[in-house]
Amino acid sequence: MIPTFHIMEDLLAARAQMALSLGFHIVFAAIGMAMPFLMAISHYQWLRTGRQVYFDVSRAWSRGVAIFFATGAVSGTALSFELGLLWPKFMQHAGPIIGMPFSWEGTAFFVEAIALGLFLYGRKRLNRWVHWGIGVVVGISGVLSGIFVVCANAWMNNPSGFDWIGGQAANINPVAAMFNPGWKTESLHMILAAFEATGFAVAGVHALMLLFRPSSCHREAFRIALLVGACAALIQPLSGDRLAKGTAARQPLKLAAMESHFETSTFAPLIVGGLPDATAREVRHGIPVPGLLSFLAKGDIRAEVKGLNDFPRVLWPPLLPVHVAFQIMVGCGTALAGLALLSLFFIWRKPAWLGNRRFLILVVLATPLGFLALEAGWVVTEVGRQPWIIYSIMKTAEAVTPMPGLVYPFLLFSAVYLFLTVVVAWLMLRHIRAVARNYPSAMPEGGSHA
Amino acid sequence: MLEVAPFMLWVVIGFLAFSLLLYCLLAGADFGAGVLEIFMSGERREAQRGIIGKAMGPVWEANHIWLILIVVILFTGFPEVYSRVSVNLHIPLTAMLLGVIARGCSFTFRHYDAVKGRSQRMYSGFFIFSSVWTPFCLGVVMGALTLGNINPAAAGYAEGFIHPWFRPFPLALGLFTIALFAFLAAVYLIGESPEGELRLSFVRKARWASAATVLAGGVVFVSAHLDGLELIPQFLRSKTAMGCLLLATLSLPLLWLALRNAQIWRARMLAGMQVILILAGWMWLQFPVLVHMPQGDLTFFNAHAPERTLVNLAWALIVGGAFILPALFYLFRVFKRDEE
Repeated sequence: MIPTFHIMEDLLAARAQMALSLGFHIVFAAIGMAMPFLMAISHYQWLRTGRQVYFDVSRAWSRGVAIFFATGAVSGTALSFELGLLWPKFMQHAGPIIGMPFSWEGTAFFVEAIALGLFLYGRKRLNRWVHWGIGVVVGISGVLSGIFVVCANAWMNNPSGFDWIGGQAANINPVAAMFNPGWKTESLHMILAAFEATGFAVAGVHALMLLFRPSSCHREAFRIALLVGACAALIQPLSGDRLAKGTAARQPLKLAAMESHFETSTFAPLIVGGLPDATAREVRHGIPVPGLLSFLAKGDIRAEVKGLNDFPRVLWPPLLPVHVAFQIMVGCGTALAGLALLSLFFIWRKPAWLGNRRFLILVVLATPLGFLALEAGWVVTEVGRQPWIIYSIMKTAEAVTPMPGLVYPFLLFSAVYLFLTVVVAWLMLRHIRAVARNYPSAMPEGGSHA
Repeated sequence: MLEVAPFMLWVVIGFLAFSLLLYCLLAGADFGAGVLEIFMSGERREAQRGIIGKAMGPVWEANHIWLILIVVILFTGFPEVYSRVSVNLHIPLTAMLLGVIARGCSFTFRHYDAVKGRSQRMYSGFFIFSSVWTPFCLGVVMGALTLGNINPAAAGYAEGFIHPWFRPFPLALGLFTIALFAFLAAVYLIGESPEGELRLSFVRKARWASAATVLAGGVVFVSAHLDGLELIPQFLRSKTAMGCLLLATLSLPLLWLALRNAQIWRARMLAGMQVILILAGWMWLQFPVLVHMPQGDLTFFNAHAPERTLVNLAWALIVGGAFILPALFYLFRVFKRDEE
C-alpha cells in the first residue's frame, strides 16, 4: 500500500477535484460562449461603418479570447477524462444513456475549434464577410456545446430515458434522456449566465480603463459589453424563476435545502440571508418574508411547500453551502439586474451619462458579480444534488473510483489550476496594458499619459 | 452479440479507428513539433520556432479534438472499457492530462503574450517538456491495453494501479510514440519552411527521426519479449498485420529518396502512409480486443452499449462528421494552400 496520510478521504478528494475542475473550466467555457458574440458585434460595426475603433476593439478582444479558449479547451478535455478517472461506475452506467448530448457536444466543440482557427488566423486570407460569418459560427457552436453539456447535467438532476432494474439501466432511450424535463430551463439559465457574467466582467475592465485612460476604443468596448451583459441580466431572473419552479416540482428536497425551509407549510416564507443549522433544524439571522416562497415555487402564496423535515436526514444535501451559495447567486443576480436597468436606460436615453464617473465606478465594482453568481449557481445545483450523483438512482459514494490516495491527484490539479489562474490573470494584465501601445484608437485622450 | 445492430456497431468502430488515426497523424505531428524543439539551437532557433507557430497555430485545437471524440465514443459505445481503463490506468491517464493541459496552454501563451520577453523561455520550456511527455503517456496507455496486465480482481495497490503500465513494453511504446510523432512533424515541417538552410535543417531532422523511430521500434519488440508478450509470433501469424509493418519499414528508403530530391508532397504522403500502416497493423493484431485482461478480454462485441445507444451514437457521428470533415478540409485548404 502507498502511504496515505489521511489528509483527506478519497471520496472527499474526488469531489474536491471535480468541483475544482468544473469551477475552473466554467469560467473559460462561459467566456468562450459569450466573447465571440461581443467580437462579432464590434466586427459587424466595423464592416458597416468602416470606423477603425470597432476594428481595434474586435482585434484586441480576439487576442484575449485566444488565451481563454485554449485554456478552456484543455481544461474541458481534462474533465472528459476526469468523469471516468474519478467516477468510473457513474460513467459505466450513465455513458450509454447520456452519451448522446456528449457526442453532439464533441461535434459542436470541433466546429468551434475549426472556426476559431479560421477566425483568429484567417483575417488576411478570407473575404471580410466570410471572416465575420465564421466568427458568428464560433459563437453559435460555443453556445450549442454549452447547451449539450448542460443537457447531460440536467439529466443527472432529472434522470429519465431508462428503467433502473436491479442496479442496471434497461430500456435505454438516449433521446428521452437528452431531452429530460430539466434540459430547457437549466441550459437557458446557464447560457444567460455566461452572457451576463462575461458582459459585466468585460464592461468592468473597460470601465476601469475609462476611469484612468479614457479612449474611444475603451468607450466602444464598454458600451457593447454592457449592452450584452445588461440584456442577459434582465432576462435571467425570469429564467431563474422557471428553473426554481421545475426544481420545486421534481427535486423538492433540493429546493427546501436552497431555501433552508424545514417545516412543510402553506404560506411558506422566503428566508433572506441567514445561516441554517441542520442539527437544531432552524435558520439563524435570516429575514423571513411570509408567503413569498410559496409564490416563487408554486405561483400561489397559499401553496404548500415541502420542507426538509419530510425527508430522511441522510438524504439531505449539506445545507450551509447550498443555502449560502443560493443567497449569493440571487443577491448578485439582483444587483446586476438593477444595474442592467440603469445601464439600458442610459444606453437608450442618456448616452452621455455612460461616461459619468460614479456610474463607471459602479460598473467596476460589479466586475466579479456575474462570475460569482455563476460559480455559486453551480454549487447550488451540484452540492444541492448530494448525496446523489444521479438523483434518486445512484449515490456519489457508490460511483467513486476504487483507487486509493486520491488526495494526490487533487493536490496536483489544485497546484496546476492555481498556477494557470495566476498566469492567465498576469497575461490579461499585460495584454490590457499593451492595448494602448498597439491600437491607435486606444491612445489615451487629452495627453493623460502615465 | 454480433447480431445486435451489426452495421451501426461497425460504423462506431470505424469512427473510433478513424479518430485514432487522425489524432496520431495530425495532433501527433503537433506534439512532434515540440519534440523537435529540443534539437533546435543557435540563431536558427527563432526562425524554426516561428515556422512551428505558424504551422500549428490555426489547426492544433481542431487536431486536439479527435482525442475528445475518442473519449466520447468509448464512454458512450463501450462504457465498460472506458470505466475499466479509467480505474486501472488512472496514473498514466492523469499524467497525460497534465501534459495535454501544459502543452495547449504553453503554446498559446507563447504566441499570444503581449510582451515577448523573458517569459518566452518559460513557455518554451513547458511546451517542449509537455510535447514529449504527452505522447509518451499516450504510448504507455496503448501499451498497457495491449499487454494484458490490467486485472480487475487485483488485490494490492501495485498490482492494480502500477503493474498494468509500469513495464518495459508500455514504456518502450511510449518512447516509440515520441519518435514516431517527431518523425511526422519533421517531414510535415519541411514543406512549411522556406527553401534554403531552414528547410534543410528539417530534412536532417526528418532523417534522424526516421532512424530513431526504427530503433525505438526494435526496442518495442525486445521489451515485448521481456514482458512475455509474443509480438513477433503474433505478427508472423497475421499476414495483414505483418504486411502493414513490412510495407511501413521497407518504404523508408523511398522516403529518404524523396527527402533527398526535395519532393515535399511525396515525402509527406509516404510518412503519413507509414504511420497509418503501423497503426493499422497494430489495430489489426488487436481486433476485436480493446483491453487484454487475464480474466477474459474486453472486445468490441462483448463490451458494447445497448443497440439503441449504438444507433444514436452512429447517427451522431455520421451527421457530426458531415459538419466536421468539410469544415476541417476548408481549414486545411485555407492555411496550407500556399506551399504547393
